[in-house]
Amino acid sequence: MKFRTLGAICALGLGLATTAAAEYPERPINMVIPYGAGGATDISARTIAEPLGNAVGSPLVMANVTGAGGATGSVAVQNAKADGYTMLFARVGSHSVNPAMKATLPYTLDDFRFVTVYEINPVACAVSPSSGITSMDDLIAKVAEGGVTYSSSGVGSLLHIAAVMVLSEFGVEEPLTQTTHIPQKGGGAAATAVLNGTATFLCTNSSALASFVANKQLVPLMVTTPDPVPGFDAPTAADLGKPALHQLVGWTGIAGPDDLPDDVAEKWGAWMATATADPEFLEKMTARGSVIELMDPVKANEFIEGQYNTFRKLVDDLGMRIEG
Amino acid sequence: MTERQVQISLGAGAILASLFLLLWAIPQWVSSPSNVQKLILSPLFWPYALAGFTGLTGLGLLFGGLGSDDDGEPVNEPSDNPAAAWMRLAGMAAIMALTMFLMPRLGMVLTSMLVFVASAFLVRTRHPVTAVVCAVLIPLILYAFFAHVAGVAIPQGNVLRLP
Amino acid sequence: MSFVDSIAAGLSVVGNIEAFLALFVGVAIGVVGGAIPGMSATMAVALTLPFTFAMQPITGILLLLGVYKGGIFGGSIPAILIKTPGTPASSATILDGYPMAEKGEAGRALGMALWASCTADVISNLALILFAGWLASFALSFGPPEFFTLILFSLTIIAGVSGKSLLRGALSALLGLLLATIGLDLVYGTNRFTFGDPNMMGGLNFIAVLIGLFAIPEILAMVWNPTAHVGTARSLGKNWVTFADYRRSFKSIVRGSLIGVFLGSIPGIGAAPSAFLSYSEARRTSRNKENFGKGEVEGVAASEAGNNGVAGATLIPLLALGVPGDVITAIIIGAFMIHGLQPGPMMFILNVDIIYGLFIGLIVSSVFLFFIGSVAIRGFKYVADVPKRILIPGVLVLCVYGVFAVNNNIFDVGVMFVMGWVGFMMVRFQVPAAPFLIAFILGPLLEDNFRQSMLMSGSDPMILFRGPITWFFWGLTVLTVVAIVRAGVRAVRTSALAGK
Repeated sequence: MKFRTLGAICALGLGLATTAAAEYPERPINMVIPYGAGGATDISARTIAEPLGNAVGSPLVMANVTGAGGATGSVAVQNAKADGYTMLFARVGSHSVNPAMKATLPYTLDDFRFVTVYEINPVACAVSPSSGITSMDDLIAKVAEGGVTYSSSGVGSLLHIAAVMVLSEFGVEEPLTQTTHIPQKGGGAAATAVLNGTATFLCTNSSALASFVANKQLVPLMVTTPDPVPGFDAPTAADLGKPALHQLVGWTGIAGPDDLPDDVAEKWGAWMATATADPEFLEKMTARGSVIELMDPVKANEFIEGQYNTFRKLVDDLGMRIEG
Repeated sequence: MTERQVQISLGAGAILASLFLLLWAIPQWVSSPSNVQKLILSPLFWPYALAGFTGLTGLGLLFGGLGSDDDGEPVNEPSDNPAAAWMRLAGMAAIMALTMFLMPRLGMVLTSMLVFVASAFLVRTRHPVTAVVCAVLIPLILYAFFAHVAGVAIPQGNVLRLP
Repeated sequence: MSFVDSIAAGLSVVGNIEAFLALFVGVAIGVVGGAIPGMSATMAVALTLPFTFAMQPITGILLLLGVYKGGIFGGSIPAILIKTPGTPASSATILDGYPMAEKGEAGRALGMALWASCTADVISNLALILFAGWLASFALSFGPPEFFTLILFSLTIIAGVSGKSLLRGALSALLGLLLATIGLDLVYGTNRFTFGDPNMMGGLNFIAVLIGLFAIPEILAMVWNPTAHVGTARSLGKNWVTFADYRRSFKSIVRGSLIGVFLGSIPGIGAAPSAFLSYSEARRTSRNKENFGKGEVEGVAASEAGNNGVAGATLIPLLALGVPGDVITAIIIGAFMIHGLQPGPMMFILNVDIIYGLFIGLIVSSVFLFFIGSVAIRGFKYVADVPKRILIPGVLVLCVYGVFAVNNNIFDVGVMFVMGWVGFMMVRFQVPAAPFLIAFILGPLLEDNFRQSMLMSGSDPMILFRGPITWFFWGLTVLTVVAIVRAGVRAVRTSALAGK
């Protein structure tokens, strides 16, 4: 018996329940959050838990299964029984950047069936005020001088690919050699690294930067969305003439194992429509800088595939793929 | 085992472990990308350094042990019946292995009831009735707490599904 | 705004029954949550978070802070009674707390843990209130090179907890460092000793290793010799900590609190190293040096002061910079943001009422902790009276539940069992476990900060000497190492003389 199968099956309390003709869901649904408490995914998941629980009519059990940049929790769902009682809060890092960058990842996008993507997070790039950089042009000029570094929450995170993609879009030909990536453990540490001068800049979800920007500890250089982000006094990617960067956003969605039955997926579509319409939920999420945009399964899959292909192309062009 | 024997076996063990790591485990199980520019940044650098230090510590322990006198005093209190003690340890190992095997099948609650009873009798408890009562109650109480207060998805088995 | 005005503004937001009730309930939840191994302060805070969404901002945040403070103290209860640290921060408390419980002094150890915790809490809160701005700017001058030297210095603690043989301590530490390399490589993201198993990619779960290393060997020792404890006085008795104990340990408590404040104000270190550092400093300077590790009440005091000293101080980077120092404060920052508060320098200008409200709440929380802690000790200490051969299977089951709950992963239970056997072998071969643990915590930090420094400088080692902070820690490290070597040489000489 392999530990992984063992772990996956029981960690999720899957057990072979009586799968008689009873109406789904007849017992609590386990929702795996592949990241730690207090992170963007966790807060998003726990905020939607209440309206979603009301819509489902049966409690949702939130389980943080953390490790390896979201891989440990994702694998737990990948190996779970596809009965709809084990679902995953998938995130941009675990389900588009990681598959694009890591050949060693124990799963691919095809191992999951997405029932929805409900949240989009704009990405913003920021520097420390003491760096003297005030615009993207300044930053690119600085890259040419050399010595520019960027921080991230780890290899294969959104922050990692975001910085590379932004540099590459702005005409830096070899971002991997002209600049240096300084990975940190976690998003908080990545922002701190820019605050204390360890790294020159970072690109991450605007919500992670909002308080630093409001406190004038960091200067935003750009946001990747077509529309401006409240609180960020910075040009959008559209203003700067880089529409390709619109692809570069964070998102949270819900997925099950790839052989999830159609009726379960349908039910999720209906539940999510009710849950995301909840005014309190909307208010909390928008206050944190998220854009609530409900996608049906087809659209969600298209969106994720599109982002994956963009990232994959960039990774292959630059030779960033991790093989070992 | 005496102090000197402990020292020598620790030293020998550390040297063997270090050789194993240096010669087999690190090359086999630590992968390093081909584009590493500096040795010092390689994922291999730290494991190799640690394995090397382990070997040095092992040498130190070995020579320290060889150089000291044997006082003939055993370091651990002797067990009154070593054969039975080894049997009990093997029993505990079996309980642990069974726990890992049964937990996904029977669920955590039933498994821990069995584990409780088995280990209580393994250590020859003087209160067999209390042990059985506790074996039923404690896992149930813990389940109620973790599942309903702390909201943890405690594994349920295919035999018994608790509310 | 003057200081008095600020206080008045603070009082106006916390001067209501709900705020204090929330704080009280928070401390109580924390103490109980911390006392359940595997539940830990982190999880207790994470579980309380959703309840704060509907509250007034200050009430919600005070509730979380109460849970945090209670949790850090609560962890010492199982550490002392059943050798299972309730939170990682209380692992240093085991070193002397559990031997005391074995001697029938559980009440005294728990009492001292409470007194030391409350004292450290007060000192830590005062440091937060008086020096937040100054300490925060100091914390920001800690980049990877400074961290590297600080951690290098912290590793010298290993000498203080190695017991009689430094080499065995080093062996134990190396084992911890090696196990900590399991997982994905920080810089390249490649696999290290993962054997293709996704569960190994995240590294070994810290709490599973911790509980495996301390609690399981105790169970195995019981299995090896079920009647070893018969006849020894384990029952609780009426013993309680005396004021004389407290006065004797006072210096260690203050020192531990200051160590806690210092390490707590730097993001990313956490409470466990602080407790160990405080413990080893107390041992180094104590007159009862010989008794450390065998049930010395000063050891308990030092460890608890070290970990509770961190609790108030981690709020320094949180409030002054908006930077979380550890997982718990990361969750608390989430609570700030949900209420539309943005911690950072501006908060001291825009939300001065909230800041001072928090300060008042924190001071009160130390008092609450004292009362709730006393009640909790009275409740929990009867665990020491449970027949040991009923207690041990109970501890085993509790550990299984607790370790599972940390990351909802059965694999971690397996890690705990395996580490239990490693720990048992270490006991049999008289290899101390504490260096293993310290190395397991600090090892990844050391490696990561070293490599980050090298990335920053393009592999120029001179960056490790880049400023006064690095020089200071290099100097301290050299001094400590010289002292350790001299003590070692002296010990060898005396034993050689005694041998002749």
